[in-house]
Amino acid sequence: MINKTQKINNNKNLHNKKVKVLLSKLGLDVHNRGVITVAKLLRDSGMEVIYLGNALPEEILNIALQESVDIIGVSSLGGAHLTLGKDLIDLAIKKNLKDKFVFLIGGVFSIKDAEELKNIGFDEVFTAEVSSNRIIDTIYELLKNKGNNILKNNFID
Amino acid sequence: MKNKTITIKELLSKVKNESFRPLYDRNTIKQISKDLEIFKENYLKKSKNNNWFVTPYTILGSEIPRELLYTPAQNSKADYYFDLGFPGSEPFTRGIHPNMYRGKKFTIRQINGFGGPEDTNKRIKYMLKHGGTGISVIFDLPTTQMYDSDDPLSRGQVGMSGVAIDSAEDMEVLFKDIPIDEVTVSLVTHYPSNTAILFSMYLAAAERRGLNFSILKGSVQNDITLEEVVRSGPEYIPPKDCFRIQCDNIEFIRKNVPYFNFNTLNGYNLHEFGTSGVTEMAVAVANAIETLDEIVNRGYDIDWAAERLAFFWSISSDFFEEVARIRAVRRLWYKIMKYRFKAKNPRSMWMRCHVQTSGISLVREEPLNNIIRAAIQALSAVFAGVQSLHVDSYDEAYSVPTEKSALLSLRTQQIIQEETAVTEIVDPLGGSFYVEALTNEIEKRIIDEVDQIEKLGGYVSAIEKGWIHNKITDYFYREKELIDKGIIKFVGSNIYKTDEKLQPIEVFNYPKGVEERQKAKIQQLKLKRNNEEINNKLNALEDACRSKKNITEYCLNCARVGCTVGEIFKIFKKSFGLWKPPLFI
Repeated sequence: MINKTQKINNNKNLHNKKVKVLLSKLGLDVHNRGVITVAKLLRDSGMEVIYLGNALPEEILNIALQESVDIIGVSSLGGAHLTLGKDLIDLAIKKNLKDKFVFLIGGVFSIKDAEELKNIGFDEVFTAEVSSNRIIDTIYELLKNKGNNILKNNFID
Repeated sequence: MKNKTITIKELLSKVKNESFRPLYDRNTIKQISKDLEIFKENYLKKSKNNNWFVTPYTILGSEIPRELLYTPAQNSKADYYFDLGFPGSEPFTRGIHPNMYRGKKFTIRQINGFGGPEDTNKRIKYMLKHGGTGISVIFDLPTTQMYDSDDPLSRGQVGMSGVAIDSAEDMEVLFKDIPIDEVTVSLVTHYPSNTAILFSMYLAAAERRGLNFSILKGSVQNDITLEEVVRSGPEYIPPKDCFRIQCDNIEFIRKNVPYFNFNTLNGYNLHEFGTSGVTEMAVAVANAIETLDEIVNRGYDIDWAAERLAFFWSISSDFFEEVARIRAVRRLWYKIMKYRFKAKNPRSMWMRCHVQTSGISLVREEPLNNIIRAAIQALSAVFAGVQSLHVDSYDEAYSVPTEKSALLSLRTQQIIQEETAVTEIVDPLGGSFYVEALTNEIEKRIIDEVDQIEKLGGYVSAIEKGWIHNKITDYFYREKELIDKGIIKFVGSNIYKTDEKLQPIEVFNYPKGVEERQKAKIQQLKLKRNNEEINNKLNALEDACRSKKNITEYCLNCARVGCTVGEIFKIFKKSFGLWKPPLFI
């Protein structure tokens, strides 16, 4: 496996550009072990992480714009992933922001719901068994594939 | 804790065994020690790779190194009466009752909560009908976080991962036709704030049924750890105010609802959130000490107060460690009550506990394996002599359990009770060279961590300083690494993994239309309430919050006239202001 973390760190020196991530708990969900683990993981891999705590879609998108992040990652273990998750993507589409960010969701979902979340429009859905490397690799993969011009030039294929 | 100059560790180091009666003959111990050394040398000589000590890495484990073999030599200072005694007698290591499960089997208390109160009412009845012997109710996210179902923040979350309760009316529906005068009811209220609110609603509902408070039995959680540490929420009140509500609840419940456990010190959620089994217990014990200090400061007798304190632990996968942990904390709690608080009533020295198998140990891949995990964990809890048990369902790696999987958890408990004969013997692992050595080691480590907290100025201070928050983050980040590297093993997930894709299993579907139903009920309630009365009671509560009055009785008055959860929480926020918890990362 190519170590993308390493790669981006090198590129970071060239372009002086860090990947910026906004992480948030979706709604009132109390369970934050997962999202904090991911926050620390991404930060330690060289990304800039903003952790918002609990928030609703409107606030999440506003902060994402304000902070010019590349990635929006939301966490839901309380069962509201389909409702609030869909709200987030719908609002992003409405505001014409769907292609501006990579949208990720993590939490406890049934297999059916995990598929549904992809259909709704999340770029990737993470569940508990995902490894740290896989999360980081997926993020770079998505940044590249989504045509996001922030990082496009950073990759030499 | 602040008003004592000596820590628990210092105090207990002075507790001398006045009449040491060695369990093992001195000469025999000498001989065994010698022979053990020879045995060890031979073993180590056999292969260069042999280690005498191995540290097990298990989910939520303590990482205490283990020897290959345990003998009386590792228990050379054992004194039967000082360390173990008889069950039902000091130091209660072997159990709090003389006859343990022969007298009363552990309570089968499976947690329930989803949808509206009507939905959970049906599930509670279903569990009781199939042999459940206790009730446990968990509340949905808005209720737990103290917002009404019609609050914009609650959208899409009403009736999710718990039952939606907005008012005393909902509480009446939740327990309709359920004999709460006979069965014990555990309200998983988590926080002191929502204990004040939801327990008041429970009491108001009981009152409307004509039940006297003095016959109600059960528990609330009422734990500052849950409100200020193990939680992600939009709004927090400051720790000192939260702690005051915890103590107000205790004072009120002890006086008015004498058979209710006013405080279930919740190690479970902290452990599952990310601490070792040692920290889980150290934190709960430190919290209990500070709480009882405050109750004594308020002028109450320790024996009057302490007999209704209970604990809630999470039981994970290191089988013998879990048995040893429960035994260790049972002995330690006795010592603290006897030597620190000078309690006289044996009941106040009992470490009574409800336990639940570990949710974090459940795995999505090959979910049926979770049935085995939970059953093994449950068995260790029973070997440890716990009072009450919840067995997690295998599908909880995906969602709230279905009726079918909830029944399987109940059946797991009944199989242990009826088919295995393990409940016929008290403390069956007592005297095991290994379990006794491990019990001693764990007790020592819990005392060391309680000492750290005491030296930080006590538990509330340890929260304010972020000590506990940081400890948690360090723990679970490291644990994730250990799982990623396959050092902590999960069969079917990071070891013996198959290439097959995850197979969908039948998972729980939340009932539809709950949010609309709850919203409509709030609207109806607001139309029929006496608004002047509502305002008066809310104002009186605000006055109580700002003065030194006991707020719980004012919450009860609010619940009686039909105030909603959100309305009462607004008064807390207005009176105490908001607190920003320490950053985790």
